[in-house]
Amino acid sequence: MSWIALCELLTSGESRQVTDAPALLLGQVQQQALHLAGGLQRRNVRSLAVHLEDAAQLAIALLGAWRAGARVLLPADLQPANRERLDAQAELWLTDQPGDHSLMDLLGEPLSAAELDPQLLGLTLCTSGSSGQPKLIDKRLAQLAREIETLEALWGADLGAASVIGSVATQHIYGLLFRVLWPLCAGRPMLRRPLPFAEDMQRASREQPAFCWVASPALLKRMGDNLDWPALRQVRRVFSSGGPLPAEAAQLLRERLGQWPTEIYGSSETGGIAWRQGGELWQPLPGVELGQDEQGALRVASPWLASGHVEQTADGAELHADGRFALRGRLDRIVKLEEKRISLPMLESALAEHAYVSEARLGVIQDQRAYLGALVALSEAGIFALRNQGRRAVTQTLRQHLNDHCEALALPRRWRLLHQLPGNAQGKLPQAELDALLLAPRPREPERLQQQWQDDHWQIELRVPLDLAHFSGHFPCTPVLPGVVQIEWAMNLARELIDDLPPRFGGMEVLKFQQLARPGDHLKLSLRFDHARGKLYFAYHNAGKPCSSGRILLGARP
Amino acid sequence: MSQLTLEIKQLIIDALGLEDLGPDDIAADQPLFGEGLGLDSVDALELGLAIQKRFGIKIDADAKDTRKHFASVDSLAAFVSASRAIA
Repeated sequence: MSWIALCELLTSGESRQVTDAPALLLGQVQQQALHLAGGLQRRNVRSLAVHLEDAAQLAIALLGAWRAGARVLLPADLQPANRERLDAQAELWLTDQPGDHSLMDLLGEPLSAAELDPQLLGLTLCTSGSSGQPKLIDKRLAQLAREIETLEALWGADLGAASVIGSVATQHIYGLLFRVLWPLCAGRPMLRRPLPFAEDMQRASREQPAFCWVASPALLKRMGDNLDWPALRQVRRVFSSGGPLPAEAAQLLRERLGQWPTEIYGSSETGGIAWRQGGELWQPLPGVELGQDEQGALRVASPWLASGHVEQTADGAELHADGRFALRGRLDRIVKLEEKRISLPMLESALAEHAYVSEARLGVIQDQRAYLGALVALSEAGIFALRNQGRRAVTQTLRQHLNDHCEALALPRRWRLLHQLPGNAQGKLPQAELDALLLAPRPREPERLQQQWQDDHWQIELRVPLDLAHFSGHFPCTPVLPGVVQIEWAMNLARELIDDLPPRFGGMEVLKFQQLARPGDHLKLSLRFDHARGKLYFAYHNAGKPCSSGRILLGARP
Repeated sequence: MSQLTLEIKQLIIDALGLEDLGPDDIAADQPLFGEGLGLDSVDALELGLAIQKRFGIKIDADAKDTRKHFASVDSLAAFVSASRAIA
């Protein structure tokens, strides 16, 4: 088995297997790629979007497009909004979805085998940008070639003829390099499909004489003890990328497998930057040069960036004298959920497009797993829907709406509904404050607008919070303020405003509930305590009409 | 609703931090993933671990199609019952 340079993959005469199930030889990959190149050239296609699950098909698509001199866009997903945005860039879509082109549709009279042009701008990666717009990142073939040559120099000898079993998709730079292009050049068999579950990885591993894993923290930190760990110790190397693996998860893998996972730190923009096996510090890949801006964010120069280009990242870092570094989190509003890069501004503006929403902000909540929480200021239409259909109908509608813009994983799971978003003196809501609001439980008390002492009683103006915790249990489809909560509010306010209130609750008299109070209603509460009789009189009015009233009997401790 | 079905629904709600959802809101035959309840691939991983831990059972990693058990609450209940009977 010998190395074939990326640009010579179509001309090499070496016979070797690219994948099994069903088996495919390099010669067949070359043939199909040349047929595709002919078909693309006949149609005069200069750029196409490709989204294929099968790594071998993707290899054919890439080589064919490159032979035809065409550029391949790799969208991260096929969500409608994402497709729409990329449509202008792609002359056709080659995907597994009905309605798009398949590889078979596009084959034509084959072009002759030829070396690929290393300067061809052959690949455009699509990822989330911090402005909210998707970001397109172009790569020349020479950049891709240099990066996989570096990977081979580092780990090729260890891997030997290991089959490459992956849990990650090939639409991202990591999966594309590690699951497709590197094995293709090195002659290591690749598994066609990603295996997102550990049990499937194990079964696939048992079928291979030697294997390595191309996985991600999402999987590696959730591997159970139902696996046959002694058998899995055969794994030549476990790669992990997309985000840092928590230290405990790395440690546990080391105990189970007898080796540290090999973590790669990189990005779509830069490709690989550094790697580590255990510990916190990252070792730059050979040829990578690092610097920092004034905020401490890493700056990267490397042989696989466009020549002369220095990429400024938004990753905070701490550089050490020996050249290694520690990562200190992102400095912009891009977040990663299970290695998926998510632009908060993009989802916020998508939310704000919905008729129910006047403004929205998002933050990450760290629970059992990390997910998004949404702080939403409802529009009038949103408040109307909340009052008449309930909270769940509103949040489900908004989730449905976002579904066109992002993957299910990014759909907010926690929602806080408000009349308006809070802001500081500059009219901004700092992320830390936003996160605190998302973490706080839903309100149980009224919003107090005004209060005054008038004649012999307190007059208090209240607003029923849109998101009152009590609504979920009581008529979830038509939320109303429960009577018992009205009494509790009256009691709590009385204790705060009226001195010397006797401590013991002795019962209720002449309770009347005449009018419903609903989310967002403005209520007027009057409170008067008759010391002689030990009775607290309360009455709520809703829009001028009596809502509820009664007397609470209070006495001294027995 | 059987006790086991109820326990599984509650486990799904708790393990996945699903707001505004009670056991009655999940139909026992409703698909948990995709268009149904809308759980994602990471939820599938979480749920696999939570079920094994909660009920003290092990998913046989060498069996084919282990993930079929995770289609709905009903199929999970059948799987848990069967696994307990063996244990």
